[in-house]
Amino acid sequence: MAEVRLQNVEKAFGNLTVIPDMTLTVPDGSFTVLVGPSGCGKSTLLRIISGLEMPTKGEVLIGGQDVTLEEPSDRGISMVFQSYALYPHMTVAQNIDFGLRLAKTPAEERERRVAEAARILALEDFLDRKPAQLSGGQRQRVAIGRSIVRQPGVFLFDEPLSNLDAALRTQMRVELAQLHQSLDATMIYVTHDQVEAMTLADQIVVMNKGRIEQVGAPMDLYDHPETEFVAGFIGSPRMNLLPGSAIGREDVNTVGVRPEHIRADTADGDWPATAQVVETLGADTILYAKAERIGDVTVRLPGHMRLSAGEPLFLTPDPDYLHLFDEGGRRVNAA
Amino acid sequence: MATAETRRLTAPDRLRRSLSNGRVSAALILLPPALILFTLFVMLPLGESVWYSFFSWNGYGTPTDYVGLENYQRIAGHSVFHTAVGNTLKIVAISILLQMPLALLLALLIYRKTPTNAVFRLIFFVPYILAEVAAGLIWSFVFDGNYGVTASIAQSLGTESFFILADRDWAFVAVMTVIVWKYFGFHMMIYIAALQSVPEDLIEAARIEGAKRRQIVRYVQIPHIKPAIIVSAFFAIIGALQVFDIIIPLTNGGPSNQTHTIVTYLYTFGLTRLNIGFGSAVGVILFIAAITVAVFYQRFFMQRGQA
Ligand SMILES: Nc1ncnc2c1ncn2[C@@H]1O[C@H](COP(=O)(O)OP(=O)(O)OP(=O)(O)O)[C@@H](O)[C@H]1O
Ligand SMILES: [Mg+2]
Repeated sequence: MAEVRLQNVEKAFGNLTVIPDMTLTVPDGSFTVLVGPSGCGKSTLLRIISGLEMPTKGEVLIGGQDVTLEEPSDRGISMVFQSYALYPHMTVAQNIDFGLRLAKTPAEERERRVAEAARILALEDFLDRKPAQLSGGQRQRVAIGRSIVRQPGVFLFDEPLSNLDAALRTQMRVELAQLHQSLDATMIYVTHDQVEAMTLADQIVVMNKGRIEQVGAPMDLYDHPETEFVAGFIGSPRMNLLPGSAIGREDVNTVGVRPEHIRADTADGDWPATAQVVETLGADTILYAKAERIGDVTVRLPGHMRLSAGEPLFLTPDPDYLHLFDEGGRRVNAA
Repeated sequence: MATAETRRLTAPDRLRRSLSNGRVSAALILLPPALILFTLFVMLPLGESVWYSFFSWNGYGTPTDYVGLENYQRIAGHSVFHTAVGNTLKIVAISILLQMPLALLLALLIYRKTPTNAVFRLIFFVPYILAEVAAGLIWSFVFDGNYGVTASIAQSLGTESFFILADRDWAFVAVMTVIVWKYFGFHMMIYIAALQSVPEDLIEAARIEGAKRRQIVRYVQIPHIKPAIIVSAFFAIIGALQVFDIIIPLTNGGPSNQTHTIVTYLYTFGLTRLNIGFGSAVGVILFIAAITVAVFYQRFFMQRGQA
């Protein structure tokens, strides 16, 4: 069992407090994704869990054990870095084997585990190569292989796919999901990528300025963002956050409506508007319009809509999918 | 373009390519100055030395007393020359076995950029900045058994003072101590620069995998800075062949010619005694030794795509 718990963790670098007070539970066997804007402390949090950084206050528990003062290698974790961090002078096999060699694992066992990891990650043909002779995707697989042979209870990933091209990223994403299923370990994963977060996670943690905005299943966050920040952060293109007064909802500060929950029509509707930019993506069309007295509104339309910039039209939000927020940016549940 | 046969790049193709991309013209422009300087300041003096080395000549007038290989025979049979070569080899050995490990150890302790480390770096680097002659003088004072530091130590211990620089067996040990002290900072700086270029990620990854400090040094940092170590060893060897100005103020080659290096030997027996032909022969031998070392070293250590 490898549940990860952070108990009132604080982290400051000098007098810069990066994480003021964080309490978070990552359930055993879950795939938890940390998202948040750049500089909000995601990497710092991961490094605190790994033991590379010490929290200035609070406790870190892994599998119920207080590991706050333990060395990284005694925590039963492994980490995959964005830069892969492969040892350039070692072959792929030696890279994967390194941790086992240090742990004085019997040679037979080492060989077996390296072979197994190489099989899972399709690295058998590259075992004798040096990292410099591999492609980005292959290097990433070696980094993952290195972390799985040690059979840790918790895997930490810091933006592991961000250096890969789009196609490879999709492929690796699927491989990671399969890996999670087959290994049955806890995974904590930092990413900037919406799609990675939505598809991989069973739990997403949205962070902002070192604090947790919301924790929940991907669709929970999507359907019921608890704060304006989460509403704007989850979902792409991002939710329209419109001033309540401008659309006749004086009772709330902000009304959020997702681009896919707005209808566009040239004949009639609630908000008169003008098309500004039209992006046809194939399956959908993204329309950026300027609505009178309201401002910029993004609309996602199914399939091809024959619209051109400057064209007048009408927008109608779906009243069942409005998200209401008060002055503090907190969700107001419609009575 | 769909041609029936795939085109192969031939040698003339490559030549045309290198003509058009400017490499050849760059070579034509940049090579002559280097060649001229090299000829003027290396090849010509070397040729002259070779020429003089066949004469018995005191440096005045033109050499006329042709003696063939006699200078070389005298050097080969001279026991002081054997000692000098042995001493040079001792310096190489001490540099590689003591000085470089010491420099590496210190570099590992202070390579991270912190204010305290900057201070230590400076302190350790001071001996290298100091002029050789000044260093020699400072240490001859330290070793002085009458008035120097050694005298004070002996006095406070109540023992009889000793004169290490006058001791046949120990004088060269003292000289080597000064050499290690003088030059370790140079090697340390090379290692510090190299260690700073080791990505922090690699060290952290190793920590996560359970590597202790020693193991990180051994399996991550040293392999990473191997090219720098190879270069620093090269400097150590070439430097050992050139040791001169530190010895003159310390021992001047004595006692009984026990502390000569090849260069002080050349200076003492060639120049100060006005045997320019003889000195030239020593110089030629030294040059051949240096070139041989450089070529072999390059060939065996520095070319295997070490990066
Ligand atoms: N060693 C350090 N010393 C001082 N400040 C640091 C240190 N490490 C991180 N910080 C600061 O902590 C804050 C959070 O950094 P962190 O790397 O955790 O952000 P992040 O959420 O991972 O961002 P990104 O998405 O860009 O990777 C930043 O403001 C950063 O400048
Ligand atoms: Mg980060």
